[in-house]
Amino acid sequence: MNRILEPSDAEKILSTALRNGGDFADIFIERKKGTGITCEADKIERVFSGLDVGAGIRVIYNGNTAYAYTNDITFDGLMKVAEEVSKAAKVSSGSVTLNLKQKDPPYSFEIKEVPDMVSVDKKVDIVSKANKAARCFDSRVKQVTVGYGDTVQEVTVANSEGTYINGKRVRTRLIVNVVASDGKHIQTGFESAGGFSGFELYKTVSPVELARKAAARAVLMLEAKPAPAGQMTVVMAGEAGGTMIHEACGHGLEADLVQKKLSVYAGKIGEKVAADIVTVIDDATIPNLYGSFPFDDEGTEGQKTVLIENGVLRSYMYDWLTASREKRKSTGNGRRESYQYKPIPRMTNTYIAPGSYDPEEIIKKTNKGLYVKKMGGGQVNTTTGDFAFEVSEGYLIENGRITAPVRGATLTGNGPQVLQTIDMVGNDLGWAIGTCGKDGQGVPVSDAQPTIRIPKLIVGGILE
Amino acid sequence: MNERCAKLKDETKYMEIAGEVIKKAQKAGAEHSEVYFTASEELSIDIRDQEVETMKKANEFGIGLRVIKDQKVGFAFTSEIKPESLENLVREAVANSEKTSVDEYNIIPEPSKIYPSVDVYDPDLEHVSIERKIELAKEIEQYGKNFDKRVKITETCTYEDSKYLIVIVNSKGIESSYRGTFAGAYSYFVAEENGEHQTGFGMQFSTKIRDLNPKEIGIEGAQKAVSMLGAKNIKSQKAAVVLDPYVMTNFFSIIAPALTADSVQKDKSLFKGKIGQKVASELITIVDDGRMNGGIFSAPFDGEGVATSETVLINNGILQGFLYNTYTAAKDGVESTGNGVRLSSYRGTPEVGTTNFYLKEGKYSKDKLISEVKKGLYVTEVMGMHTANPISGDFSIGVAGIWIEDGEFAYPVKGAVIAGNILEFLSSVDFVADDLRFFAGKGAPTVRVSEITISGD
Repeated sequence: MNRILEPSDAEKILSTALRNGGDFADIFIERKKGTGITCEADKIERVFSGLDVGAGIRVIYNGNTAYAYTNDITFDGLMKVAEEVSKAAKVSSGSVTLNLKQKDPPYSFEIKEVPDMVSVDKKVDIVSKANKAARCFDSRVKQVTVGYGDTVQEVTVANSEGTYINGKRVRTRLIVNVVASDGKHIQTGFESAGGFSGFELYKTVSPVELARKAAARAVLMLEAKPAPAGQMTVVMAGEAGGTMIHEACGHGLEADLVQKKLSVYAGKIGEKVAADIVTVIDDATIPNLYGSFPFDDEGTEGQKTVLIENGVLRSYMYDWLTASREKRKSTGNGRRESYQYKPIPRMTNTYIAPGSYDPEEIIKKTNKGLYVKKMGGGQVNTTTGDFAFEVSEGYLIENGRITAPVRGATLTGNGPQVLQTIDMVGNDLGWAIGTCGKDGQGVPVSDAQPTIRIPKLIVGGILE
Repeated sequence: MNERCAKLKDETKYMEIAGEVIKKAQKAGAEHSEVYFTASEELSIDIRDQEVETMKKANEFGIGLRVIKDQKVGFAFTSEIKPESLENLVREAVANSEKTSVDEYNIIPEPSKIYPSVDVYDPDLEHVSIERKIELAKEIEQYGKNFDKRVKITETCTYEDSKYLIVIVNSKGIESSYRGTFAGAYSYFVAEENGEHQTGFGMQFSTKIRDLNPKEIGIEGAQKAVSMLGAKNIKSQKAAVVLDPYVMTNFFSIIAPALTADSVQKDKSLFKGKIGQKVASELITIVDDGRMNGGIFSAPFDGEGVATSETVLINNGILQGFLYNTYTAAKDGVESTGNGVRLSSYRGTPEVGTTNFYLKEGKYSKDKLISEVKKGLYVTEVMGMHTANPISGDFSIGVAGIWIEDGEFAYPVKGAVIAGNILEFLSSVDFVADDLRFFAGKGAPTVRVSEITISGD
C-alpha cells in the first residue's frame, strides 16, 4: 500500500505543531474512495463515485484542543496547518524531536473482495435484485428505494507519543426502503445490512431476503392498528437490534460526557447501575461487524471493553484526551466521522450479553404487553438519562402470546431505571447496524441484545 | 492548475478549473456536463468554564461533476484538485452514467433569465478578530451562568462561522459564482437542584456576525434548563399541545419532504393529488423563499444554477404546489422553483430540497395563545424527531415541556410522548402566534394544536 504520509514528514509536521509547546499533537490523514448506487421508481437513478482526501492536525495544550483540517495534503499544505494549530500553545518550549515508529495494526479483518476492484455492474446487479424482489412481493408495494454504498478508507495516524500506524478500512452496506399503500394509508418498511467487509458481504446477506423483509413489514403495517398509549410491559426480540442499549446506556458511558458531568453514570464506577442479569460490552474486535476496526481514529488498537458486568459499572469508553485526564489508557474508542472532525469517545459494536432464558418462555410468561420485533432510531439526553426510540415492527402480547401488529409506537423511559428493572434476558443475540450521530459526527456502529423484558416502559401511542 | 492549495480568493482560477473540467467531460463523450465547485473557510470555538476548550479551523474545497450522456446521468466528486484526480473525475462520471437508467428528463439547466440579487456576504466577518469571537462565546457563558445559581454546568458555549464561495459552470452557458457567510452561536447548559439535572439550549444564526446577541443566547439556554427543574411524569390523556417555535421547526422534517415534487412523483407524499384542496387549518401558510432578505440559505441560484424564488406551498390551509429542481420540473412540464439543493455539497447531486422554509406568523401574541389553554402541554424539547416518518406522516416522539392549566404555566413535564399523523396535526392547529423566529434555514412561530394523544404513566 502506498503510504499517504511518510514517517519522516509526519515527524516534521508534528514538531511544528508543538513548536510553541503543548502536551500532545496528532495528525489523521485519509484518502477515502466510495461508490453509491440508488435505485428508485424502478430505475437506477444514481451511480456516484467519489474521492475525499484530507488531513486534520490537533494540538492539545493544558487539556484544550486546537484542531484544523485541510484538503491540501501536500507537505507544504500540512506544514501550514501545523503552524496554524501551533499558535494555540503559548510557551515556546524550544525544539521538539520526535521519533515515530511504525506500528502494525494488532489484527486485521479479512477482506476478500475489495469494492474498488469489483465492477460497477456487479454492484448494480445487487441493487436490481433487491428492487425486483421488493416490487414483486405484494401489489400494495408502491415504491422501493434501494441504496448501495461502499467505502475504502486509507488512514494514517501519527502522534507525538511516537505512534505511526496505517491501514485500510473497507465498509459495505445495502439499505432497502419500501413504501406500501392500500389507498387509505401509507406505511414503510426499512431494512439494512452492512459490515467492515468487502463485496463478499453478499455471500452471507441476501439482497432478495433483505428486500422481502422490508416489503413484508411495510405491507404488515398497513394492517396494523395504532399502538396503545401508556405504561406497559415491553419484550424486545433479539432480532430487534440494540438501539435501546445504545441510547439507554451506551452514550452515557462515553468518557467525555461523564467527565463533563453530563451523564447520569458519572462517578458510579463500581456501583450497581443495572439488574444482576445485565452485562453490557463494547467490542471493536469482532470480525467484520459494521462498527469494528483494528485501530481507532487516534491509532489506538480496537478493544473489547466490559462496561457493565452483572449490573456493576466497570468502565467508561475513552479516547486519548479523556483517558489522559484520568492518567489511564484509551480504550480505543477515539473515533471521528472524517478528517473534518476531532476524535471523541464513541461506541463501536455495543451489546447486552446473552442470558439464560429461552426467548419463547419470556413471551409465554408475559400476560399483557408490547412485543418489539424491530427497533428503529432513537435519541437520549445523557444528562437526565431520558431516552426515546422508535418501534418499526411491534405486536401486542396477550395471555403469553404474540397477537395483533401495531404501528407508530415510540418507547420512552429513563436509562438507569430501565437497566435496573430488566427482569429477563434471553439466550439469543441479534445485531443491527446504524449510523450514530453525536456532536454533528456520524460514525458506523452496530448494536445488539438478546430478547429482554422490561416490566414498565411508556409506549407513545394513540388513545382510543 | 498545478497550484494545489486553493484559496477562497481565487475565484477566477476556480472558474478556469471548472471550465477545463467541462471541456474534458465533453471530450470524453458527455453531451452535457456541469461542475459544482465550492471552497470554504470555517471557524468554531467551544468555551467551557471561560476557557477555549476546542478551537477548530478548516479549509475545504471540492468539485462535483455531473454528466449526461444518452439521457443517462453520471456523477463523481473529488477533493483532490490534482490533474490526475481531475482526469479520474471525468472518467468516472462518464463511466457511471453508462450504468444508470435512460430518462428523458435528465437535463442540465440553461441559464435563468434573471437572477435575484441577495446579500448573504458579511465583509465584517473577516475583520472581527478571533479574540473578539472568543470573547463573544465567553460572554454567552457568563450571561447564562449569571442568570441563575442553579446553572451549574456548561456543556458548551460555541461560536462558529463560515465563509464560502460557490461556483457553477455548465456546458449550457451557466458560469456563475457567489460568496456567502454565516455566523452562529449557541449555549448548552445544565441546571442542577437536589441532585436533579436538566438541560437547556439557546441559539442564533445569521448571515451577519453583528446580529448575534450573546446575552440572549446565554439567557435562553440557562432559562430553559432552570425552567425544567422539578419535572414530573404525567398521565396518558388527550389534551392541547403548544409547540414553541424551535419544536415547530422540528416538525418540518415530516412536512417538508412531502412538499417536494420528488416525493410526489414517487408516490411518497401525503399531499399527492391534493393541489387546491384543504390540507391544513386555514391558519397555516407555508413558504419556501430562496431569496429571502437575511435568510441563511438565500442565494442568487440553487445547486444547479437556477434562479431562486419564493414559493408559497400552503396558503391559508390550501395546498398550492410543490418544490422543484430541474429534473422533477421537466417531468411535470413546469419551471424549476430553484430548489435543486446540494445537501452534501460537492459530494452529491442537486436534489429537491428546502431553502428558507417557514410557517407564516399569525396575528396574536403567544401570551394570548397560552392564556386560552385550559389544560395542555407547552412543548420545548423533542426527542427522536428523526424517527418520525415523512412518508406515512406518522409521528410518535418523546417530549418535555411545561404543563399549562387554566391559561397559566403550572409545572415542568418530562418523559411524555405525543403521537399522531401530520395531516391530522396540521388540521387541528387552532392558533398560530405572531412570534415567527428562524433557526438557520427554518422558521416558525408558536403553534397550538387543539387536541392530541399524550402518552405518559
